[in-house]
Amino acid sequence: MKNQKSAAYRWISFAIVVILALLFTFPLYWIITGSFKTAKEINSTTPVWWPTTWTLKNYQTLMGKMKAPLWEIPVPFSQYFTSGGEKTIISSGPQVPAAIRWMLNTIWMAVAAMFLTCLTAALAGYSLAKKRFIGRHLIFTLIVCAMALPKQVILIPLIRQMSSLKLYNTLSAVIYPIVGWPFGVFLIKQFAESIPGEILEAAQIDGAGELNIFNTIVFPMIKPGVGALAIFTFISSWNDYFMQLIMLSSTKTLTISLGIAKMQAENSTDFGLIMAGAAFAAVPIIIVFIIFQKYFTRGIMMGAVKG
Amino acid sequence: MKKCLSLLLAAALALGLTTAATPVRTMADDVNITLWTYPIGNWGNAETVDGLIKGFEEANPGIKVTVEYLDYTNGDDQVNTALEGNAAPDLIMEGPERLVANWGAKGYMVDLADLWDDTDKAEVNAAVQSACFNAEGACYEYPVCMTAHCMAVNLQRFQAAGADQYLNLETRTWSTEDFINAVAALYAAKGDTVATIYCGGQGGDQGTRALINNLYGGTYTDPEHTKYTADSEENVKAIQLLYDMEGIVFDPSIVAGDEINLFRQGILDMSFCWNAAQQNNNANNDPGLTNDGDEIVFMAFPTESGDPRLQGGIWGFGVFDNGDAAKIDASKAFIKYFADGEGTDDAVLASGFFAVRDTAEGNDLSGIYADNAIMSEFTKIMPFLGDYYQVTPGWAEARTAWWNMLQRVGAGGVVADEVAVFVEEANAAAAK
Amino acid sequence: MKKKTAMSRALVRRETIAGYMFMLPSLFFFLVFVIYPMFMCIFTSLFDSNMGRNTVDQFIGFANYVELAHDPIFLGAMKNTLVIVLVSVPTVCAFSLWVASAIYDMKPALTSAFRVIFYLPVVTGSVAVTVVWKWMYNNYYGIFNYLLKGAGVIDKNINWLGDPRFALWCIIIILFTTSVGQPIVLYVSALNNVDQSLVEAAAVDGATRFQIFWKIKWPQIMPTTLYILVITTINSFQCFALIQLLTSGGPNHSTDTVMYYIYYTAFKLYRYGYGNAMGVVLMITIAILSAVQFKLGQSSN
Repeated sequence: MKNQKSAAYRWISFAIVVILALLFTFPLYWIITGSFKTAKEINSTTPVWWPTTWTLKNYQTLMGKMKAPLWEIPVPFSQYFTSGGEKTIISSGPQVPAAIRWMLNTIWMAVAAMFLTCLTAALAGYSLAKKRFIGRHLIFTLIVCAMALPKQVILIPLIRQMSSLKLYNTLSAVIYPIVGWPFGVFLIKQFAESIPGEILEAAQIDGAGELNIFNTIVFPMIKPGVGALAIFTFISSWNDYFMQLIMLSSTKTLTISLGIAKMQAENSTDFGLIMAGAAFAAVPIIIVFIIFQKYFTRGIMMGAVKG
Repeated sequence: MKKCLSLLLAAALALGLTTAATPVRTMADDVNITLWTYPIGNWGNAETVDGLIKGFEEANPGIKVTVEYLDYTNGDDQVNTALEGNAAPDLIMEGPERLVANWGAKGYMVDLADLWDDTDKAEVNAAVQSACFNAEGACYEYPVCMTAHCMAVNLQRFQAAGADQYLNLETRTWSTEDFINAVAALYAAKGDTVATIYCGGQGGDQGTRALINNLYGGTYTDPEHTKYTADSEENVKAIQLLYDMEGIVFDPSIVAGDEINLFRQGILDMSFCWNAAQQNNNANNDPGLTNDGDEIVFMAFPTESGDPRLQGGIWGFGVFDNGDAAKIDASKAFIKYFADGEGTDDAVLASGFFAVRDTAEGNDLSGIYADNAIMSEFTKIMPFLGDYYQVTPGWAEARTAWWNMLQRVGAGGVVADEVAVFVEEANAAAAK
Repeated sequence: MKKKTAMSRALVRRETIAGYMFMLPSLFFFLVFVIYPMFMCIFTSLFDSNMGRNTVDQFIGFANYVELAHDPIFLGAMKNTLVIVLVSVPTVCAFSLWVASAIYDMKPALTSAFRVIFYLPVVTGSVAVTVVWKWMYNNYYGIFNYLLKGAGVIDKNINWLGDPRFALWCIIIILFTTSVGQPIVLYVSALNNVDQSLVEAAAVDGATRFQIFWKIKWPQIMPTTLYILVITTINSFQCFALIQLLTSGGPNHSTDTVMYYIYYTAFKLYRYGYGNAMGVVLMITIAILSAVQFKLGQSSN
């Protein structure tokens, strides 16, 4: 271990890593300081590195700009019975700044996508790895081929599909295609391959039911994979701008990144507002990430061991 | 147990259901309609629009209006995706180039001809009227307001460079020669970009079109609005002139909104995308001033003839045909209220442009800008309004092709060839 | 003998039923929201499908595909897509491996601090990150021109996003910063899991650092590398937001990727059938690539 790396090499690589780290933090630094700058400083043609006067005006504009109800609870499936194809709302929250609703939408979307993906992929991945059923080769081939496919490929059919299912302009239209994306199944299958068949057979002989076997034997063994998948799905759906862009169109269904992108296009003159929006979008998740970074990285790392 | 719970939760998720059960709010028989509006002056500002909508809802109990705001960067895509998703709004506010020439021509809009009685036909400006009807006599836009698109210059910069001698502030006109000299003087003083031919795409194309057409008197389409004629000698000469001018840059990295912003920041000395609402904009400083307090002077586009042809902007409402008669009727009531009724003066004031008529159902609109010096100054260039050719078929595709042409020229393409490609693409779309 | 086949047939049936029951939820989403739209995509690609209520789609066979083969913009977009994938995948892997090996044996607090920092652009989200990069690349007041001019490297502003020579690379750089986070985390943990006794034994035998890396560490982190290759490839193909928000495919289609060009064809040119044909071509390309990658991964395991 010792002397493996010479001291000089260590210092040089340390210095380079520090410089890179500074570059990587710069965008965030610029968003946060920018969101507190006055219009004059943010519009200045020479960069102002540190705000001379700190202002909350940008955040006030952000919060004052548009309003949306904090929540809306629809009657499930009601869109199939009303004439206009709209959901009947049974409870509607107080009007709050739209950015807050966007944040909630994003959290809901990412959590729901994560949860559904993990659940369906865990079941399916196990089945593909361990069940010798007819047609599994075909399904697995389809999965491998579809795995890396960008969603843009099926852009138009997908919009039509969502429209005929009356899901267009709902968060479900963003969530379901993410859940359908087969990368998760592939990942879990790789994990489940290593479950020894004898254990499963022994349990079967003992008369344990299929679900019982999954719960008590399989799930604990593929847990690291599920953890990795959960994080992968959460992050990628949080950042999945494309599906949001084509599926969501009204103020109350927007997600935070879409909301900020819209704001940027609408108010290209108001950099302060855009920075405040970007900070509002980024900072909460960064704080969550830093607090939970141990679990976060552990989740990712678990994926690496077997993936 | 935990697994069971999570399964349940998953099932709930799949249904889009959450646990809370709160009292059912009855919606009676209200008709809910949605309006999507582009940022036409303060029609893009939620505060102003909320006030307008409140007035309408009080006058028309039983109709509820939800407003969504579009922008010129993504707005068209958003409407197109919504149309494909069968989720188009009921009402949309924009101009004939979108409502008549694009969505109307594609069969998505409701014919509003029945909203016009003889008084309306007499009251509304004839050129505006003809732009809102298609060749078959169907009306896809009920107009509210209009303006002339022009350009703007930074007066202090012009004075500092000695270029203000080329501006006629009385008539707001200047010659092509004046323009060439002014740019040369500004570039000599500054040594950097004076103005840009922004060509990143989307809106604001009227500025680049009008500049190029006016310089040597070219036209964009034929007078009958059936085909594109931008490949004429005059236009080629104009584009070549702009490309060769030092201080003018073809910039594909910015769109019209960016150009206006750069002009306000004092980075550019001229903007080619200007109008009355821009002149009145007070977001970063008093109206008519840049961020640094320089005076902004609006000008007609330079011409050889001394008779500029400005591009008109016409804005109004159109109704998407979503197959629901009640919503269509409610939308028509909305149009009646804001375009030809008690809300018209507020609607026009919110846009920051001029009314397309002097009276609306007895509501006198001629004096709404009586105490606004900028607007009365602006009436000077209104007579320069040229042909409203933006209703030529294939308009949306032609606009995309126009930007691409400018980008190719900017990258060093041969002007005559690139313009020929543009005209070919645009006419192919027009013939469809 | 006979009994046994009956038994195993029953077993097969049981396995099949159970197998499909487990597959069912996933299969539902996969078939309804991926496979069915894909099928529709192939189907409509054979039609002259346009936007508009008053037109009827005409069956035109493979005309869309023939046109594609001669569409220079599509071919350029295909090239750009491949450039993005072929450049970003190896650089992301190499860079993150280097950073990981530089930080994995530091003090734990320091390691995790760096891990967090390199992960920041991922959690910040591409839209928020783009806001800043757009300003940095700006032709008139961007920081790159400001710094380069200040340092005297250039004397005229470079229009980073407006110049076909630079625009695609500008996008690749942003994609790069938002892609290395996860691979670094993965490599750090993989390097920590390398069997130290082997490393020490080799060091005693006088192996050079390079030999130790290549002969001992590299094979052990191979599974991680494969996983990273897969997720980075997926990530690079999905690169859409950066292009839509920064250049809209311009200048003059020099940053069009197939993904963006499909969107452009659909909503700017209103040609759905043609867009779908592009989708099909991309689908086939990616399916082949994935299959090859998968086979390679399997054989090297």
